[in-house]
Amino acid sequence: MSSTHNATADAHAGGHDDHHDVSYLKPKGGMMVTIWDWMTTIDHKKIGVMYLFASLFAFFLGGVFALLVRLELFAPDVATLDAAGNPIIQGQIFNPDLYNRFFTLHGAIMVFLFIIPAIPAALGNFCLPLMLGAKDVAFPKLNLTSWYIYVVGAIFSVVAIALGGVDTGWTFYTPYSLDTPEEHWQVTFMTLGVFILGFSSIFTGMNFVVTVHKLRAPGLGWFDMPLFVWAIYATAIIQVLATPVLGVTVLLLALERIFKIGIFDPSLGGDPVLYQHFFWFYSHPAVYIMILPGMGIMSELIGVHSRKKVFGYRAVAFSSLGIAAISFIVWGHHMFTSQDALIGAIFSALTFLVAIPSAIKVINWIATLYKGSIRFNTPMLYGLAFLFTFSIGGLTGLFLGTLSTDMQLHDSYFVVAHFHYVMMGGAAIALFGGIHHWWPKMFGKMYNEPAAMLGCALVFIGFNVTFFTQFFLGTQGMPRRYSTYVQEFTTLHQISTIGSWILLAGFLVHLATFIHSLMAGKQAPPNPWGGLSLEWETASPPIEHNFHHEPVVHYGPYDFDDAVPPFCDPADYPLPDPLPPGEKSH
Amino acid sequence: MTTAPTDMTGDGASQTYWERYRHQPHWRNNDDEYTAAKLGMWLFLTTELLLFSGMFVAYTIYRILHADEFARASHYYLDWRVGAVNTAVLLISSFTVAMAIRNAQLNQQFWLKINLFITIICGLFFLVAKLALEYWPKYQKGEVPGGFFSYPGSHGYVPSDYDPLFLGVYWVATAIHGSHVLIGVLLLGWCLWRAQKRHFGPRHFTSLENVGLFWHLVDLIWIFLFPLLYLVG
Amino acid sequence: MTILTHTLTLAQERGALDRLIFGNQVGNSNFVESHDWLFMFIFWLCVLMFVVLMGAAAYFTLKYRYKPGVPQQRSASHNTPLELAWSIGPLIVMAFLFVWGFQGFMDAHVAPSGSEIVNVQAQKWAWNLEYDNGATTREFTTDLFGEEGQGKQVPVFAVPAGRPIKLQMISSDVIHSFWVPSFRMKFDVFPNRYTTMWFEAQTPTGPDPKDGLFLFCAEYCGAEHSQMAGIIKVLDPHDYNKWKQEMGVDTRPPVEKGASLYVTKACNSCHSVDGTPNTGPTWLDLFGKDRVFTNGSTGVADENYIRESILEPARNIVEGYPNQMNSYQGQLTEAEIRSLIAYMKTLSEAGRAALTPEETTSSEESEGAEEPESGA
Repeated sequence: MSSTHNATADAHAGGHDDHHDVSYLKPKGGMMVTIWDWMTTIDHKKIGVMYLFASLFAFFLGGVFALLVRLELFAPDVATLDAAGNPIIQGQIFNPDLYNRFFTLHGAIMVFLFIIPAIPAALGNFCLPLMLGAKDVAFPKLNLTSWYIYVVGAIFSVVAIALGGVDTGWTFYTPYSLDTPEEHWQVTFMTLGVFILGFSSIFTGMNFVVTVHKLRAPGLGWFDMPLFVWAIYATAIIQVLATPVLGVTVLLLALERIFKIGIFDPSLGGDPVLYQHFFWFYSHPAVYIMILPGMGIMSELIGVHSRKKVFGYRAVAFSSLGIAAISFIVWGHHMFTSQDALIGAIFSALTFLVAIPSAIKVINWIATLYKGSIRFNTPMLYGLAFLFTFSIGGLTGLFLGTLSTDMQLHDSYFVVAHFHYVMMGGAAIALFGGIHHWWPKMFGKMYNEPAAMLGCALVFIGFNVTFFTQFFLGTQGMPRRYSTYVQEFTTLHQISTIGSWILLAGFLVHLATFIHSLMAGKQAPPNPWGGLSLEWETASPPIEHNFHHEPVVHYGPYDFDDAVPPFCDPADYPLPDPLPPGEKSH
Repeated sequence: MTTAPTDMTGDGASQTYWERYRHQPHWRNNDDEYTAAKLGMWLFLTTELLLFSGMFVAYTIYRILHADEFARASHYYLDWRVGAVNTAVLLISSFTVAMAIRNAQLNQQFWLKINLFITIICGLFFLVAKLALEYWPKYQKGEVPGGFFSYPGSHGYVPSDYDPLFLGVYWVATAIHGSHVLIGVLLLGWCLWRAQKRHFGPRHFTSLENVGLFWHLVDLIWIFLFPLLYLVG
Repeated sequence: MTILTHTLTLAQERGALDRLIFGNQVGNSNFVESHDWLFMFIFWLCVLMFVVLMGAAAYFTLKYRYKPGVPQQRSASHNTPLELAWSIGPLIVMAFLFVWGFQGFMDAHVAPSGSEIVNVQAQKWAWNLEYDNGATTREFTTDLFGEEGQGKQVPVFAVPAGRPIKLQMISSDVIHSFWVPSFRMKFDVFPNRYTTMWFEAQTPTGPDPKDGLFLFCAEYCGAEHSQMAGIIKVLDPHDYNKWKQEMGVDTRPPVEKGASLYVTKACNSCHSVDGTPNTGPTWLDLFGKDRVFTNGSTGVADENYIRESILEPARNIVEGYPNQMNSYQGQLTEAEIRSLIAYMKTLSEAGRAALTPEETTSSEESEGAEEPESGA
């Protein structure tokens, strides 16, 4: 793979002797000036990079809580007597109260601060205008506003942690979340933080929808857009339509705590199941806010690195919209064990529908590999890892969508394993694939490929060791959110905890590669992977206004059969042999 | 819908803001920018509608579960006349803000300001009426939501167990709506200030129109809230 | 410990995959057959689909890897019949899954007429089953969470084999969820609203609690969520009726009843009786002691103080403890409160001196029978 870099390295210098076309990363002056410039920037690339670092920091924070959770679960708490005959609890590292705060903060941080903003707001912000050939998103100032709203929401969450943390679970189910004494403000702060973060998400979504509608380059029709753009577009629609309901839900929850309005409080005549409906009306579509952009990244990774037009482009594009639409009508499957039987049955039937577009995507990605020219590098390894983990995540969903098996598996470790396979094995692995894919474009530096591949391998192994065991914990009867357990679950828990350490090692390797790349990485060529979408037609890192001239689109994002990628040596990216006469390719 | 004409000719040096207005650099032309802003605004209005739909759903469910109590509570605690006057006021304001946009399109700068001013007065009237005739007396009598409810009842009226819940829905729905009215008034004030500086005219009235759309939404939501809360039975 | 070894031997007799999947929670209810069959069907379906998909992916990846100098072949970028096939194929499978799952689900929702009704009262953090003769359990085990009698006491309940039981469940605080993994069934328990579930246990597990089935709380409910457990032992109908009768006639002296209530009413979640610090003050040496409250006042822990602390816990909070406890108003009869006070007396010097004869001698009539509809 290194030969491709060398051959195209000098192509970079080619077109930009114009001194106005400076890299967007070039400092504007002294340190204070540069900091001020970043803080007030309306450049989508800088905002995207700020989101990326913020959400990776949130990932680190949420990851620390996850490791603490796994650490506590390494051994069950066993009450016994020490040598002197005093009662002690063996195997308890953190008391249950602290443990409950850890898993709540792990969930809340990972969901609201990391995975929801990470792909759309970080990679989406950076890539979307570039992929559309635009100078910026539709509303650059609104974009900066969403960033600051995100910061304010994050501060609220941090205040909640500083006040002692929250122990309600990230779902804030009532009446438990109303139960902590009023003088403790952390739950109120956390819910208000989520309310504020919701607005950040809404504004980002609005911005992206309008950008896709209004700022496509000349010649870029809807079906010439990269599939990542389709996925971001579908995501943005969900963000706009679902997040307000979360907004009103957590707002009501905060009001419930402050003014005791009674809407969700059973002791005042309210209904806790109504809260669950409200919460999941947002939070189920939110699952697709997390996974859809990951699926978009997958299409890019598989398409570009196997040099094939993504198989069934239209089916993949429409399945994004299909998932977005179906995501709104399946929320009730989180309540099979609490709601009316008939409603449960309806939601089960609807839930199976969402499996179809997901299956279409996975099968089409695998079909894309057929007769490709597959290059093994970190982004592609992540793409293949995604196929593996996401397939497991998707298939295990069948157990949970089926009513009678869900009665057993609901709220067990099976569910924990399932959604980690989808959220982490799907969205987070896609995110890391995407970061490695666009890293050269974002920072103009290559990373150490063998080290990054090692990191990817460790993440893949660690992830599977950690979470595959949890399927069996669930089927064996281990409920979720337990700080301790009966002793027969010990072995599986210990394997899982050891897996979490392998996972940690993998991410530390990535951290080291990223730092090394920023400090001492080789200059990246404009198009290291031979991509055809528009972001590869500009310098790495891109110039301030993205393109010298508004690009005009002549070929599709995956027309590898017919077009030599810009800035690339045709020897490295040869066109396939022409078909024998009489056979049609497309 | 009218779109901003782009072929308007100014008269050189004496051009006002709206005459010389040029789109932000990432747009191709003023027209694209204007339609994009409007599309964005409509999306935002959708989110607002969904935000309130949460309240409507909560109301509907409790109304079905406790139909008689809610009807009784509505008649007892809420005065439909206050609601009706406020409805009328908001309807007038919706008309005047629509007129203001029309004035901008026709470059009737004086009437633009007059209509915006009337809209703001209507909005303020709504808020004052809400506070003085409803919130304050209710607060004093203890007709407040849920856990803080302390109204003992009078003249043969004994509060049911679900009166606090009804008042909870009433206070929250009207307070969220009221905060939107307040934000709307502030935005209209900003528009008036810009109109004073001759920012709006036939070639440029994007933010004025979007604020107008927002105001129509605030009005629309009240038109749903009024019968649901005041006229049940 | 003992539970572990026992269930392990039991599990030895089954296949390795069966052991890996269902662990030691050997199915023991009318739902097991259909559930386990459907589970294994989906399992093999998933294995098949996974192997096919990953096999194709691995094969393509290796076969079509980039080799310098070898030109890429052209290939189709879409194929409508093929794509339709792999869209509609799964849809048909899903339809079957839905129907089978729905059948099992409806069976689980409709209890057969003539089911015996058992009331379930859930609270932070204890389960309490009240049988149709008013009986509640007096059997406990400490094996689940500790060694040699050191673990938290959890209640042991009995259910009959081969007779349907319908649970009427209510919570007195937050949401809980009644889950017996061996029954392959769970349902949530709400405050202010009854929910029901039913089951018919199949094989007697015998009278020894260590052979019993686990009862877990599956809906997160706070600090001791993970120890809100119980043991369900399945008895043959004759033994079950006998057990129920025994539990129904409670002639024990109040001090002993108090010791039972200490567990069934979840006092043990926050108050230790051996001096260990916990969410609330320990009961060891409590009775007769001087208390300092957060509002600056002081008092002596006598009968009236304890009664007030049970019914209006928030009024006086002992210095150094959070205002955490819920009121037990309406959940305890006066007799039960007196039993608890009697039990607490046995835990301190001053208390033992203050014990009255009525508190330590058995009564003639059963008090368990007049237990109130709790949580109503």
